[in-house]
Amino acid sequence: MDNNPYIPVPAKLVDVVEETHNIKTFVVEPVRPIVFEAGQFVEMTVPGYGEAPFTPSSSPAVSDRMEITVMRVGQVTERLHALGPGAELGIRGPLGAPYPLDTFCGREILIVGGGVGLAPLRALLFGLLEHVDRYHRIVLRYGARTPSDIIYRDAVSSGWGQNGKLDVRVCVDEGDADWKGNTGVVTTILEPECLSCDPANGVAVVCGPPIMMKFATLKLLDLGYAPADIYLSMEKNMSCGVGKCGHCRLGRYYACKDGPVFTYDAIESINKIWD
Amino acid sequence: MFKLQQGNLNAFMATLSSGRTVYALSQVDLQYHLVRAEAWDGDQHLLGSYRPVEPLKGLFFPPRETVGRLREDSPLPEMRERIVIGVKNCDLSALKIHDYVFLECEPRDPFYAQAREKTVIISCDCTDARESCFCPAVDEQPYARAGFDINLSPIGDGFIVEPGSEKGEALLDRAGDMLSPVSQDDLSKRDANRYAVTRRVAEQAEGRGLTTGADLQAAVRASEDADMWDVFARDCVECGACNFVCCTCHCFLLADGSSPAGGDSRVKKWDSCLYHNFARVAGGANPRKHRADRLFNRFDKKFVFFPEVLGRYACDGCGRCAEACTGKIDIRDVLKKALDGQ
Ligand SMILES: Cc1cc2nc3c(=O)[nH]c(=O)nc-3n(C[C@H](O)[C@H](O)[C@H](O)COP(=O)(O)OP(=O)(O)OC[C@H]3O[C@@H](n4cnc5c(N)ncnc54)[C@H](O)[C@@H]3O)c2cc1C
Ligand code: SF4
Ligand code: SF4
Ligand code: FES
Repeated sequence: MDNNPYIPVPAKLVDVVEETHNIKTFVVEPVRPIVFEAGQFVEMTVPGYGEAPFTPSSSPAVSDRMEITVMRVGQVTERLHALGPGAELGIRGPLGAPYPLDTFCGREILIVGGGVGLAPLRALLFGLLEHVDRYHRIVLRYGARTPSDIIYRDAVSSGWGQNGKLDVRVCVDEGDADWKGNTGVVTTILEPECLSCDPANGVAVVCGPPIMMKFATLKLLDLGYAPADIYLSMEKNMSCGVGKCGHCRLGRYYACKDGPVFTYDAIESINKIWD
Repeated sequence: MFKLQQGNLNAFMATLSSGRTVYALSQVDLQYHLVRAEAWDGDQHLLGSYRPVEPLKGLFFPPRETVGRLREDSPLPEMRERIVIGVKNCDLSALKIHDYVFLECEPRDPFYAQAREKTVIISCDCTDARESCFCPAVDEQPYARAGFDINLSPIGDGFIVEPGSEKGEALLDRAGDMLSPVSQDDLSKRDANRYAVTRRVAEQAEGRGLTTGADLQAAVRASEDADMWDVFARDCVECGACNFVCCTCHCFLLADGSSPAGGDSRVKKWDSCLYHNFARVAGGANPRKHRADRLFNRFDKKFVFFPEVLGRYACDGCGRCAEACTGKIDIRDVLKKALDGQ
């Protein structure tokens, strides 16, 4: 059956990259190309164990191979972390709505990531860097718990910042003996003096744990970003991913169809959005 | 519209249902049950004077349905043609919710689509009501206006037979010799029954504080932060019965496991928004941690969300949840409390 929305495309795990002690990047090759845009997600099946939503962290320009960066937190991700190259997986998607990149043209884009939340943002960065001239400026602010929790370490510490197209700053909650960067929660690198952003002509894109999203949003509002210019990735419980099972409802929206990215103005009136 | 004499009912049903699996009502004490049979059996089956215990949705959205195998292509299982006889308006109207979710919103669900295509629906006006019925309070009425293939209106010595679709018209062609023209008197009898039952149900709902036409959307929306939800939720034991008996509840979970035939299969099974983990995300965060949040969510979905996205309540006043609730939480009391401004 070609049009079964509940069954994944088989995919082979071809490589596993260890990012941190509990985060790995899985490189998968679906038997049919999967074309996605930055912001969209997929449901990945670990046969016999279940399915969970993840956002590809690789370039949207590549459709026959997909990278997915996963933190080990529970049943499905535990099993996934135990798998090596050759394992059979399944990918269902792309699901959800992409970032409206054409409305970002000519503007300054501030990207704020926390922890494994940098994974979806990496796909966005690849998408942006491909047409870097279209945007006024791209700024990345990333917070991790400790230096050893930083993912995509090479890109974060040197790669991305090198060509001058991207202004990168990283901070950690707790440094170690070798850490020379900023220390503190991610909002410390959102202070005007280390940001020099122009909120009136910019958009901010945020992805991370709920508590970080909450404080980052409050900070961005404080800096003068309009609620309609703050893009938030909302992590909701998902099952079907296609707007039918009811699990991911957020007010009048389904996060899996209308999101997972929402502008703050669309959801600010909903109770308990940060829980 | 045609008239069918009472004495021809069995022959009529036999003609309509030939070659189809039959779902009909059978009576046990004061309840009707929706049962499956190979053929219409006049000794066991009846049209019923109000809705059965089981919600109709289960014929289209089964409690547990295999949606495919994970490693191999799984064809859509072939479904035999079916006919369901004696459907009441609450169950029929509820299909508008399921049609919206499973057919109209992309992508369409091929399992639901096939079940809808293969099923002929014969509805029937209510001639009586259960104590728990309150359909007029949610803008419904105890007889069908649309959505059926054929509707039957009991009128004493027989029925008024009304086709509601091309499928229904084609079926009636086969039974043409049993049908005669409808008289003005027949129509008056039908209208009198419809009026009497509607009035009775409206009065019984009003007796519970649910006035026909009251704005339940505004009332539920305004109640979000009220402590009424804590009070009602104290009695909820999270059994999920309210969701499972409900003719409109459509939430489900995709669950994987190994099938007895070997291989990994995925099932789509009814889920309950009252369960603690329904909205929980990895790491333990839960936007609806408290039972009160989850109980409110059930009403918010039915009386606020669906009016916003589809222009109708996702409740047809069947009263099943009031009868089924282990904690004796009665939807009518909940709505009344919300209408009273808590
Ligand atoms: C759009 C989106 C994109 C995401 N992208 C990423 C990403 O790129 N990288 C990443 O690491 N994470 C991502 N996540 C989070 C990821 O989906 C979760 O970490 C993952 O679902 C965890 O699955 P688990 O089985 O390992 O965890 P568990 O905690 O075992 O289970 C997680 C899910 O199963 C449900 N569940 C748990 N126990 C039960 C039970 N007993 N009964 C019913 N349900 C239960 C939970 O409610 C939860 O939804 C994303 C989430 C969303 C919504
Ligand atoms: S909410 Fe209760 S009364 Fe309303 S349709 Fe569902 S089961 Fe029937
Ligand atoms: S039927 Fe009653 S006790 Fe059971 S989940 Fe629903 S509200 Fe709670
Ligand atoms: S995950 Fe099923 S409706 Fe969104």
